[in-house]
Amino acid sequence: MRLSAPRLTPLGLGALVAALIALAPLVAVLISATGPMADSLTPETFWRYARTSAGLVLLVGLGTGLLGGIAAWLVAMHDFPGRRLFSWALVLPMAAPAFVLAYGYASLFDVAGPIRTAWRAAFGWDPPFEMRTLWGAALVMTLAFYPYVYLTLRAALVSQSSGLTEAARTLGLSRRQAFWRVTLPLARPALAAGMALAVMETLADYGATSYLTVQTLTTGVVRAWSVFYSAAEAARLALPLLAAAAVLLWIERANRKAVAEAGQARWREIERVRLSGPAGWGASAYCLTLIGLGLVLPLGWLVQLGWASEHETVRLIASSRNVLILGGVAALFTTALATLVALSARDGRFLPRLLSLGYATPGVVMAIGLLAPAGMIWRAFPSTVSSFLMAITLLVLAYAARLMAAALEPIDAGLQRVGRSVRAAARTLGETEAGAARRIDLPIASGALFTAALLVFIDVLKELPATMILRPFGFDTLAVMADYYAKDERLGEAAWPSLMIVLIALPAVMWLTRRVSHSRPGDRT
Amino acid sequence: MIKRLSVAALLTTTMFVAACQQQPATETASTEGTADCVAATGGSVNLYTARHYASDEAIYEAFTCSTGIRIQKIEMQADQLLARLQAEGDASPADVVVIQDAGAMGQAANDGFLVAFDDATIDGRVPEQWRDPQGRWFGIARRARIIAYDTQRVQPEEVDEYADLASPRFRGKVCAQTSDAVYNLTLMSALIDRWGSERALEWARGVVANMARPPQGSDSDQIRAVAAGQCEVAITNHYYFLRMAESDDAADRAVTEHLALSFPQISGQGSHFNLSGAGLAAHAPNRENAIRFLEYLTGPEAQGTFASRTNEFPTTTEAEMPADVEAYSHHAADPLPLPAFAEHRAEAQRIFEQAGWR
Repeated sequence: MRLSAPRLTPLGLGALVAALIALAPLVAVLISATGPMADSLTPETFWRYARTSAGLVLLVGLGTGLLGGIAAWLVAMHDFPGRRLFSWALVLPMAAPAFVLAYGYASLFDVAGPIRTAWRAAFGWDPPFEMRTLWGAALVMTLAFYPYVYLTLRAALVSQSSGLTEAARTLGLSRRQAFWRVTLPLARPALAAGMALAVMETLADYGATSYLTVQTLTTGVVRAWSVFYSAAEAARLALPLLAAAAVLLWIERANRKAVAEAGQARWREIERVRLSGPAGWGASAYCLTLIGLGLVLPLGWLVQLGWASEHETVRLIASSRNVLILGGVAALFTTALATLVALSARDGRFLPRLLSLGYATPGVVMAIGLLAPAGMIWRAFPSTVSSFLMAITLLVLAYAARLMAAALEPIDAGLQRVGRSVRAAARTLGETEAGAARRIDLPIASGALFTAALLVFIDVLKELPATMILRPFGFDTLAVMADYYAKDERLGEAAWPSLMIVLIALPAVMWLTRRVSHSRPGDRT
Repeated sequence: MIKRLSVAALLTTTMFVAACQQQPATETASTEGTADCVAATGGSVNLYTARHYASDEAIYEAFTCSTGIRIQKIEMQADQLLARLQAEGDASPADVVVIQDAGAMGQAANDGFLVAFDDATIDGRVPEQWRDPQGRWFGIARRARIIAYDTQRVQPEEVDEYADLASPRFRGKVCAQTSDAVYNLTLMSALIDRWGSERALEWARGVVANMARPPQGSDSDQIRAVAAGQCEVAITNHYYFLRMAESDDAADRAVTEHLALSFPQISGQGSHFNLSGAGLAAHAPNRENAIRFLEYLTGPEAQGTFASRTNEFPTTTEAEMPADVEAYSHHAADPLPLPAFAEHRAEAQRIFEQAGWR
């Protein structure tokens, strides 16, 4: 680790505060893990969970790599009917939280659901379409997380220098050979980075896996906590997850560097292969199927279910309002903190990575970690325990700790576009560090700041465990409402807040997609 | 579709407008200015509840209306609720704790989050069987964990004991939730207490051998699986069945047509009933209001609301029940002392795991 500021500048101080906020829950988890031994899971159960987690990670990794990879390859390197539309529409499933897809799929493919019931009526036997299995969960999460791979890989393919491929062709490789021997190896870091993101989300997920009754290590954490009431055991079970998160983050970061280097070559608009006839329509059908399965089918079914059941308009509106305000405040605050970190740790690699750990940590683990520091604050200021403002403050701090990485990544990338010499020139001309940041870095990276804020906002929309455990009296969010109803086995009622989440997230996701497309030279979609 | 979308769009717009106009505010009971209600000037009660039903909302409103005391609530799952109470310690603002599981309620009492209080009204209304022997909490509503069966393929006498679920008669015919479903844990705790660990384990192994599919889904899903013919019997709480039977949704009603509920016996002692419990928080800042609320929960009005809105059985004898709930209310409950549920919790999970009940 390199200390970026030997003297404590205002920027450095801010970064220090940000680091404290982000690290407090993780440290708390580590401390709880040293707590007393208690009744807990048997070793066999633990290994069963670990195997399931590994299997899920493998399937989702491969699934997202394949589905998202093919989509990116089609859109970036080919021309076919609807390509422009698909290039951004393929990202839309990002607006739907994995647990919402799980609600839709579990109910659609239940033994008493519409598909299997109709099948039995028609053919007289029960089809083996079961979503509440490892395979079903892998399918649901692949559909939920493939956009990560799609986005990173498409960006890499589009920004790849066409010169390299042309050189390969000149040297006698066929188009196919050039793809396998030049284009793909160059894009491999991006593929790995996207898959690492998808896998991180998979490991951190609790909502979808638990609804689909797939028992992973994260389920184990919850079981240790909710059945054995042992925060210490839960924290110990969380350690392998934390380690996995750290490894994945390292993979993602290391590969991102490679992406940046490969992408820096001179570019010319990539030459897209025109797919005509059946091949073209096949490509369109592929993209359409992906969007259909990732968004239209499960959400359409939830709309159907929701329409048939009652909804509490007043509560829905209040929850939406709560989450809009909370998400807005959290987005601003987290982006500000992440900016401070990014500015002052610009040359450091270790600190941003460490602060990103919260993002890859399962929400339930973070909730355990958040309660300890929150408890210290409550006990220190007992009069504020029931205060609305204090609860909201704690929540915003919790979101910042959990979502720092989501903001840090784009800001980091944005700041990298600011040339070192420009900043040095500003300092030479008498600007302070903070002044240079304000007048040079931030204006140039302003788009990235907005992207960061949007990402945090979308994540707050979906966040559940921290919200549930820290919120003030009488304060619901849409995710909390959806969870109530799903737990009470009222999926129709749960559909309403679930769909509201998607509706609010959609414009944000669309804006993000457009930004990503426009920020890449060579891609005019 | 278009209509639905436009409704959704309208809702979104309304919400954005609301977001711009309104301040985030704590819960304000909608009854506050209603003519027939007492002015809401009686202070408040801070309620930590793991329940999240429409019945409870109705009870809060009625309570505020008749006493002028506002209910400020946080709804959390039982484990989160206990963890938050733990973290808050002496500073906790909680006045009343409500959890819909006797095991978790016992745990809250054992952890010192609840404090005993003497109250003649509650003791007079709630039979001793549904009160903690040390007076730290009491039951406010009961839910039976029983068997739903296919009347075309199963005779009632084939499912009149929990032990029947492990019988070879039902090989490949049983549907159940996972073992960490809290109501399964509490049922297992009861079986451990009545039968001893060895027999309980043997039973769990028998049930696992009988399962039509790996444990999955919710209670309603088990009932639907019986109707769909995937299994013949399912372990479920009674009110999910009643809710489907009285649903507006024709498909849900159809599910219950060839199904019936059996109230099986544990060693001839009655069926297993779980409790929603309520207790006074150890550091309650609004103690008097809290006790008024706790008394209110045992009153005929609240008890009747539990029965009519959630199809739960009252714990008191005065409450009026809708006919479909009343029809089942005569079934005897196993009179297991309440502390047993928390006591056997960890062992229950162990036994399930040993038996391979995932």
